[in-house]
Amino acid sequence: MVHLITAVIKPHRLEDTKESLRKAEILGLTVSEVQGFGRQGGKTEVFRGSEYKIEFVPKVKLEVLVNSEDVERVIDLIVESARTGKIGDGKVWSAPVDHLLRVRTGESGIDAL
Amino acid sequence: MDRLKLLTKRLREQDFRKQFAILFGGKMLGIATLLGLVKVGSTLLGGAASAAGLSSLQAATKAADIINPINTLWVLVTAFLVFFMQAGFMALEAGFARSRETVNVLLECVFDTCLCGLLYWAFGFAFQFGVGNWFIGHQYFFLQGAPLTYGSSGVAFLAFFLFQFAFADTASTVTSGAMVGRTGFKGDIMYSVMVSGFLYPIFGHWVWGPGGWLGGKIPHWMSNITGGVAFHDFAGSTVVHTVGGVIALMGAIVLGPRLGRKFKRDGGGPLPPHDLTIGALGAVILWFGWYGFNPGSTLSAMDFAGMGRVAANTTLAACAAGMVAVLVVYPRSKKWDLAMSCNGFLAGLVAITCPCYWVSPTGSVVIGAVAGVIVVFGVDLLEHLRIDDPIGAVPVHMICGIWGTLSLGLFASGSYGLPTPTGADTSATLKGVLYGGNWDIMKAQVIGSLACIILVGGAAFVIFKLIDMTGQLRVEPDGELQGLDLFEHGSAAYHMEFGQGMTYTTPAGGFPGGTLIGAVKKEEPVGGS
Repeated sequence: MVHLITAVIKPHRLEDTKESLRKAEILGLTVSEVQGFGRQGGKTEVFRGSEYKIEFVPKVKLEVLVNSEDVERVIDLIVESARTGKIGDGKVWSAPVDHLLRVRTGESGIDAL
Repeated sequence: MDRLKLLTKRLREQDFRKQFAILFGGKMLGIATLLGLVKVGSTLLGGAASAAGLSSLQAATKAADIINPINTLWVLVTAFLVFFMQAGFMALEAGFARSRETVNVLLECVFDTCLCGLLYWAFGFAFQFGVGNWFIGHQYFFLQGAPLTYGSSGVAFLAFFLFQFAFADTASTVTSGAMVGRTGFKGDIMYSVMVSGFLYPIFGHWVWGPGGWLGGKIPHWMSNITGGVAFHDFAGSTVVHTVGGVIALMGAIVLGPRLGRKFKRDGGGPLPPHDLTIGALGAVILWFGWYGFNPGSTLSAMDFAGMGRVAANTTLAACAAGMVAVLVVYPRSKKWDLAMSCNGFLAGLVAITCPCYWVSPTGSVVIGAVAGVIVVFGVDLLEHLRIDDPIGAVPVHMICGIWGTLSLGLFASGSYGLPTPTGADTSATLKGVLYGGNWDIMKAQVIGSLACIILVGGAAFVIFKLIDMTGQLRVEPDGELQGLDLFEHGSAAYHMEFGQGMTYTTPAGGFPGGTLIGAVKKEEPVGGS
């Protein structure tokens, strides 16, 4: 079985998170720049003297496909390396994946990881 | 008799009288204009014809009436070009930095320019170009007591001031390049005051000011070493670039690297630039601005051969350096490196700035080509020493500034002396070692470079340490990670706009309901579990 782990974290924690996953022999991940809000709310910026509110805070979203046995270990790793202890550290969650195929070879399931 | 009667009869009619008056008046006006033109024309012609008969004093006055305005015009035009280099620095530094510190880099350049202008008006110019002693000038504070023209330059005093302000501004902006990404804005203001108010004007006085000890009245010990040859720096390889570069180096050393910056020998590399388009454009704008920096330093449009030579030499050195730098790094990566090419031609421009008046075009190509090699190894050296210089200010401005200054001792062609307000003065020419001269010029250049590195560098190091002690030099780690734009300026350079994502508000906390995307109702839609 394969699981998809998704994490939304602070952008400046990406480098450390990536390194710790690489050390744990996770062979690939997908990153995207996203914006959103949670309890942190938006943030206030200023332009020519007036304050305005940016409703969505920039975050980084990681998507990692892992062997289901590794889910907890990888989630722990991400939480550990992405945590700053301050508001806005983000979330991590996982979900089972029905089908996984490697495009080049047609391998499926865990073989395709 | 009939006609006379007819005339008297007609003159009694009102309509006829009116028509007659118009015709007659018009004719008289035309004749008067013609006579006037003839009179004015004869005065002009007569004046021109008799000019040769004026006394020599009057002739000199007439000449100055034409020469001084033209020289002033040249100085002003080039001052505007030098000022435009600020746009180049802004674009280059912003492009080579990360997107999170763009606003910071831009505001530093803008604020430094404003600050430098006011400081230079208040006392910077007085320190640099006022009459004083061997160390510092003290005349023209707040531009008081200014004569019509500066010294014997024949250039309008305030035009000269503007030109020199643009130079001072350049020196202070060079410094900020090596300190991008981690310097607090208050710290930036503090060191900018020191650079553009004191360090640059005082060193500038030594070389370019009246009676300065390096370029003017040199002391006996120096005269004994150099055989009486003074330190020469035509447009500022040392005065502007090595000064700016060595201060930048001290700043980068005291600050330390940006958080997360790993050096090559620790398995890392430079942090990537965020916008090479704007960076490369800025570099070329700097090249363009250099056409004010170097050719304008003749301060005289009458030395037209000198102006042309300087402009051509400037171009050739940049071309050689830009190409050589690319070719030097190509074998390493098998890639054609845009950013190194930009650093390369800037290095060539910095190097040719000192010798541009005294060398030949061929000499310029060699000087530029050597700069193109030096800059690559300069970048390597800083990487090896674990000094974080995001823009490359130290290799380009300090190291190639030193090379350019020394190159004069080798490449001075022996054909050129100094520009004067009325033309080139070749009574005392400079001849370098490669053209059969002796080592005197080289000795003077070494003394000047060492004075800059040791004295300016030492003073800058102490100043940065003192500012660091106030705790204002470097921002706190949180601010640096978040990015200086948001932390120091509360504003990002680039916004991803979702149309409804940005609203102007004054109260803090909570979202005005109407601005949310309709489907989002939950408390925690981001990763809501």
